[in-house]
Amino acid sequence: MKFQIEDVTVYFPYDNIYPEQYAYMLELKRALDAKGHCLLEMPTGTGKTIALLSLITSYVLSKPHAPLKLLYCTRTVHEMEKTLAELKLLHDYQIRHLGPAAKILALGLSSRKNLCVNQRVLTAENRDSVDAGCRKLTASWVRALAAENTSVPTCEFFEQYERAGSAAVLPPGVYTLQDLRIFGKEKGWCPYFLARHMVQFANVVVYSYQYLLDPKVAGIISKEMQKESVVVFDEAHNIDNVCIEALSVSVRRQTIEGARRNLHRMSQEIDKFKATDAGRLRAEYNRLVEGLALRGDLPATDAWLANPALPDDILKEAVPGNIRRAEHFMQVLRRLVQYLEGRLETENVEKEGPVGFVTSILNHAGIDQKTLKFCYDRLHSLMMTLEITDTDEFLHIQTICDFATLVGTYARGFSIIIEPFDERMPHIPDPVLQLCCHDASLAIRPVFERFQSVVITSGTLSPIDLYPRLLNFNPVVSRSFTMSLTRDCICPMVLTRGSDQLPVSTKFDMRSDLGVVRNYGRLLLEMASVVPDGIVCFFVSYSYMDGIVNTWNETGILKEIMQHKLVFIETQDVVETTLALDNYRKACDCGRGAIFFSVARGKVAEGIDFDRHYGRLVIMFGVPFQYTLSKILLARLEYLRDTFQIKEGDFLTFDALRQAAQCVGRVIRSKADYGMMIFADKRYSRHDKRSKLPSWILSHLHDAHLNLSTDMALHTAREFLRKMAQPYDKTGGSTGRKTLLSQEDLEKTADGSFVESLF
Amino acid sequence: MSSGKVVKKAKYKATVKDPGTPGILVLTEEKFVFKPNDPTSSNKLEVDFKFIKSHKHTKEGSNKPPWLNLTHSQGSYIFELETFSDLHVCRELVGIALSKHGEAAKVVSEEQLSAAEMGQRIKLLQEDSKLQKLHKELVASGKLTESEFWATKKQLLDRDENRKTKQQIGFKNSLIFDTKPTSDGRINQVKFQLTPEIKYQIFALKPAVHQAFLNFVPSKMSEVDFWNKYFKAEYLHSTKNAVAAAAEAAEDEDLAVFLKDDEILEIEARKKVRRVDPTLDMEADQGDDYTHLPDHGIFRDGSKEISEAQNSLYRRTLLQDLNRQGAVVLEGKTLDIEMENPRAAAEVLARRKQESDGVVEDERRNRISKMTQIEDLQAQDDHRFAPLCIKDPRDYFDSQQVNAVKALDDSQAGMEKIKCSLSSEEAYSSLRVSISKIKASGLRDPLFSPEVALKVLNELTKNISSTKSHIGKHSQDSILDILPTSTKEKLLDHWVCSQELLRHFWSSYPITTQNLANKTRRLKDAISQVYSKLEEIKVSAKSDLRHQVSLIVHPMQQALDAALLHYDADIRKRNAKGAKPNGF
Repeated sequence: MKFQIEDVTVYFPYDNIYPEQYAYMLELKRALDAKGHCLLEMPTGTGKTIALLSLITSYVLSKPHAPLKLLYCTRTVHEMEKTLAELKLLHDYQIRHLGPAAKILALGLSSRKNLCVNQRVLTAENRDSVDAGCRKLTASWVRALAAENTSVPTCEFFEQYERAGSAAVLPPGVYTLQDLRIFGKEKGWCPYFLARHMVQFANVVVYSYQYLLDPKVAGIISKEMQKESVVVFDEAHNIDNVCIEALSVSVRRQTIEGARRNLHRMSQEIDKFKATDAGRLRAEYNRLVEGLALRGDLPATDAWLANPALPDDILKEAVPGNIRRAEHFMQVLRRLVQYLEGRLETENVEKEGPVGFVTSILNHAGIDQKTLKFCYDRLHSLMMTLEITDTDEFLHIQTICDFATLVGTYARGFSIIIEPFDERMPHIPDPVLQLCCHDASLAIRPVFERFQSVVITSGTLSPIDLYPRLLNFNPVVSRSFTMSLTRDCICPMVLTRGSDQLPVSTKFDMRSDLGVVRNYGRLLLEMASVVPDGIVCFFVSYSYMDGIVNTWNETGILKEIMQHKLVFIETQDVVETTLALDNYRKACDCGRGAIFFSVARGKVAEGIDFDRHYGRLVIMFGVPFQYTLSKILLARLEYLRDTFQIKEGDFLTFDALRQAAQCVGRVIRSKADYGMMIFADKRYSRHDKRSKLPSWILSHLHDAHLNLSTDMALHTAREFLRKMAQPYDKTGGSTGRKTLLSQEDLEKTADGSFVESLF
Repeated sequence: MSSGKVVKKAKYKATVKDPGTPGILVLTEEKFVFKPNDPTSSNKLEVDFKFIKSHKHTKEGSNKPPWLNLTHSQGSYIFELETFSDLHVCRELVGIALSKHGEAAKVVSEEQLSAAEMGQRIKLLQEDSKLQKLHKELVASGKLTESEFWATKKQLLDRDENRKTKQQIGFKNSLIFDTKPTSDGRINQVKFQLTPEIKYQIFALKPAVHQAFLNFVPSKMSEVDFWNKYFKAEYLHSTKNAVAAAAEAAEDEDLAVFLKDDEILEIEARKKVRRVDPTLDMEADQGDDYTHLPDHGIFRDGSKEISEAQNSLYRRTLLQDLNRQGAVVLEGKTLDIEMENPRAAAEVLARRKQESDGVVEDERRNRISKMTQIEDLQAQDDHRFAPLCIKDPRDYFDSQQVNAVKALDDSQAGMEKIKCSLSSEEAYSSLRVSISKIKASGLRDPLFSPEVALKVLNELTKNISSTKSHIGKHSQDSILDILPTSTKEKLLDHWVCSQELLRHFWSSYPITTQNLANKTRRLKDAISQVYSKLEEIKVSAKSDLRHQVSLIVHPMQQALDAALLHYDADIRKRNAKGAKPNGF
């Protein structure tokens, strides 16, 4: 359908539209007009992504004189694929209605691991070895060598791409990762470098958060993006965690040992070069004297991970004299590693600020702050000079240098925490020195400053006023939409008591209680016998899930559950989890029915949809609080209290409930879909917890469902499922409030005031 | 059977106990010939199928040998064939031959029947004389075609089919990992009960065990030893002591096979993961995650889990087992194999593995594009089917009743019209009037005198008791018993026949095709024939029984009447309305 929003003609690939989608577009449009940032919460399953994409592309189409670029950030690769598939649908529609004028170039960008088509490189197991494998074939010095000596292997895809030169372009269209691979294979061009090259010219780029937020990656990929861009962070409820993780580093014993090995090898290389090609080291020295840490025009293939500090904080100065010579730099690094090793040997937990830590490094190792700050650049330069291609071997020394650079750059917002062992396993010594960032606004600030509009959107951003504080920005639009439902297609319930009427909870003192475990098991068993197709269960942690499943197995409950449905479980092994999910879907498709056990905050909870028959019921066992004894969490809470005046308890509850809401929200995809959500913990019945849930869940949580026991929940489930199985009027015409708008509906109210009145 | 002739080795047995005479059995559609191998034997046979009444055979899977039993008027010929497949071939031919001779009058039927179906029908007819009679009456006279006749007897036909279900039994979704041992408690020893099915499931679940079985048994160790080792390994797993497991594995390399992670599984997983729906592919995410470089990001904030890296080789968790179990159950048993011999089972499994390889990239893409569409935003295309809506069963039936009444009205259009709808006020006022009348004058003046009322009542109850059993059930003093047997038989036959006809008649409404129109016409003729026959019976009955007979015949005739009336009304309506676009 085609309609006007103020002065923009929006092309929407469906025949109908939800009123909240319309309102969402309206708000988004106003934010774009104002060239400002915005914060939008809209329930899952109301087609956020397509609304966003179609508004922004239509906005660009209607204003051809000021082309906007769309940078769409997703958390995961599979969300990237989904987004691109939706964009493809939209693009086809726009081409049909506008002709070639609507042509755009849109592509997804991922790491070499997901884009490489060279079979030799792909055999490597993990991402880092794929990266290294690629560099071994494509680094500029390797290729120079290959030009002289044909026996040196190179990558035929990259060579052909290079040979094609400026002719190597992607024709307009929408490219998923798979499309890129296919295109690359056909043309014989390397899809990874082609995509990275095309990113500059593309109208829409879909990639992972880190490509913008993590300076290590953003420094390479997103350096040259124009200011006139709209940046979208989809499913952004965890964005603060991504930001702080991007700036955190930890050092363990393995790191120290590995760094030692790396240093040894580098020294050997230096000696070798001294003997054979001393001129090269001298050239590097001269370059550093001139103040160039790196050669300006580094070929894309040589680029490694960029500086871990944010671009604005990197000093544009020459590398200090004391580390210009390679041997001197080696010495500095050795002393640093030595010092860090000494700090790791501690009996107690230590917490320190960066300033104190830097001072103590100066006192004990004789390395000043400025030297620390340049560690990364100096290392990078040295690795180039030494022509090291197996970068995956050198990750340890890289970690040390990242640590040094960060600790030298930032004086506030960070702390250094040294723990001799994990508190949950005090008998296993595993010392770790962590530099952790507490301030999420640090990493995202450059994004807010560089780009015209930043859109932060998710199904769970409640309370919506907290995010501007956490991320320290001023949105021009901040809105939370409720869901206009034709029928009550979601049924949240709070289950406080088990079948024996005793309270259930995962509170620390209750979680190992056999009665609670049994009650949880009975709940699942009863539900499995009533609910068709798929059931998803979320537990508060892996260890809790492991324990409870083992107990269920011993007590025979698991066996009974398995008589009703197949059981699949998320494990820490991603391959296994992926296969388990695939099998789960198959079981739901073929009607066998299945249960999926998963973990809140886990990978599955983050991005896998359990829509339609893949999830008719979600059970959230317990409240997914963070591990509150964690030193890092405590430090962060302290920082939040001091800087943003956010109370500890509030933040913890907010965090737990956003995770819970995120888990249960995966069950709904459209208004035609339906699903139940059971919050199985007595703590959910308390108002202070419950009220933190997003409003679209709260509005469906009836008072009668606030304090249920298993048998009552079972009854409610039966009733609900029976009701949902009936046909209904999708437009919601009979209830007076339209929940599905057609083209005529929109034309009747061209100014949109009518739609606004719905909310 | 194109050749129409089957030659098989068989043994002839005069009785079941008879050891049998070996020889050659030659079957044609007309006759069968048995020539014993020993030319001196007297057991030479040459029998026309005319004389064979029926045939029986032993079931496959029962412990009896494949016997074919052909019954004739004096006894039966039993042939023991060599295999069941031979038996099937012979049986088919016999079925065809018998059907040729059994059916004197064949009605041309438009459907093509497999020999097996035909045989089954014949068998049913032979078993049930009443059915046979009915069949003869209706089909032989051309009132119904063969297929129409059997269409209503589906249940009878299906009953046999159901015995051999096409669906295969899948794996049980129970963990075989903890096959519980039994112990008698006296000696330090446990016993495991292994059924072939469990063995098969173990092989399916653990390709490494399967591989080991193929490699070791019987060349290196006996089967018992193999399973002993296996359960020892399982025991070590169950103790959850990875260190002990590692130690044991170091000592005994055969045992290590069971204790190690399953390599075959891993390779397979890697292969499968490439085919997974991209919207589920979490491995790709990991490949894109630069924040979690080793030692980058937050390492120990409590949300990440601790795992003991040591001896991970020998740790297999329940969770992994559960996932594997689910996967295997989902894959299912694709082959119905004999599980008696574990070696055979193992080999079959190995073969199956190779077959199920093949990459489906396109499927992957289709899946993702299907996933992204939001269904209810699409234009509501006209569904070919109305959505099933059963809110309250009573509502449904009430509404249906209205329809039915309407249809009835249509069919009897203009015949009689009674105004039976009163508004509630009218009804209420009339009730009030009569109540006030009774109040005023009392029930003084009954409509009938009590004597007359009693008489009528008696008469009516007598009628009830006498007509009750007109179907001819086991009531002793039924009026049917009073009737002469010939009349009774005739009546019963007509009853069954008319019931069958009526069933066909009503089931063919509404008429939507030419076929049905033809059928109803035929049926109408048949019905009117039966009707007149009943009339004859009524007339021909002796005067003292005439009343009883008419009482029995009356409801039958009524039912037939209704059908005839409906037919006429329908024809009239059809003519009045004129031709519809599709003719109906």
